[in-house]
Amino acid sequence: MAEHYSSFQRKGSRWLLQRITAVFLVGVLAFHFMLLHFVNHAAEITLAGTTARMSSVGYFATMWLFLVTATFHGVNGVYNALVNQGLDGTQKQAVKWLLVVASVLLVAQGTRVALAMTNLI
Amino acid sequence: MSQSYNRGTVEDFGRWREFSAGMWAWIFHKFTGWVLVGYLFTHIAVLSTAISGAELYNGTLGGLEALLVIRFLEVGLLAVAVFHILNGLRLLFVDLGVGLEAQDKSFYASMVLTGAIVVASIPTFLGGKLV
Repeated sequence: MAEHYSSFQRKGSRWLLQRITAVFLVGVLAFHFMLLHFVNHAAEITLAGTTARMSSVGYFATMWLFLVTATFHGVNGVYNALVNQGLDGTQKQAVKWLLVVASVLLVAQGTRVALAMTNLI
Repeated sequence: MSQSYNRGTVEDFGRWREFSAGMWAWIFHKFTGWVLVGYLFTHIAVLSTAISGAELYNGTLGGLEALLVIRFLEVGLLAVAVFHILNGLRLLFVDLGVGLEAQDKSFYASMVLTGAIVVASIPTFLGGKLV
């Protein structure tokens, strides 16, 4: 038997969304690292440069989608890892809602930050 | 009919000496995933200084980048991100049933490629003005 081991029950919607976001994140995370470490050195980042990049509609939209998909992918992955470790019952519900609230707060704060970095609005 | 083998559970970490390549890949993917999601929250917290204006944002980012320890942590973050990306691609192919028979070799390839990319990136990450 081929070794296949996943924390997910295959064919579920969260399993599918984890893979769809993965495909997007593979490209965007690599692009993010390239742009902000190799094209622009991290030590030379200033708000003026950040604002110039974030004021392009395409870049802004990509970064915002990056925030949303990375939050979902990361938090969904954490939830499934914990369920896989045997999390159950009330604890499972508590962790689930804690992670949902943390995700909503992260996306809300990330959106505030993105808006503060742009001249688009 | 395909044959199946009882390899035990990956969660039983005490058996780590018996783990095969696929199990190590699973563990490394989980570990790097935890690091990346933790970093995501930290990253947004640091970038939140942009809300208070250029002085705080530039000072915070410049101050962090001036510390050698931050540069090394960034190299570590790169290693974690590159492995998660490469092993994630491997997992997508495994889920599609492509290259199942070579999944152990593709794990080793992910490790080697991660190492090569990280080593090649060290001069860029450690270069620039430091304290």
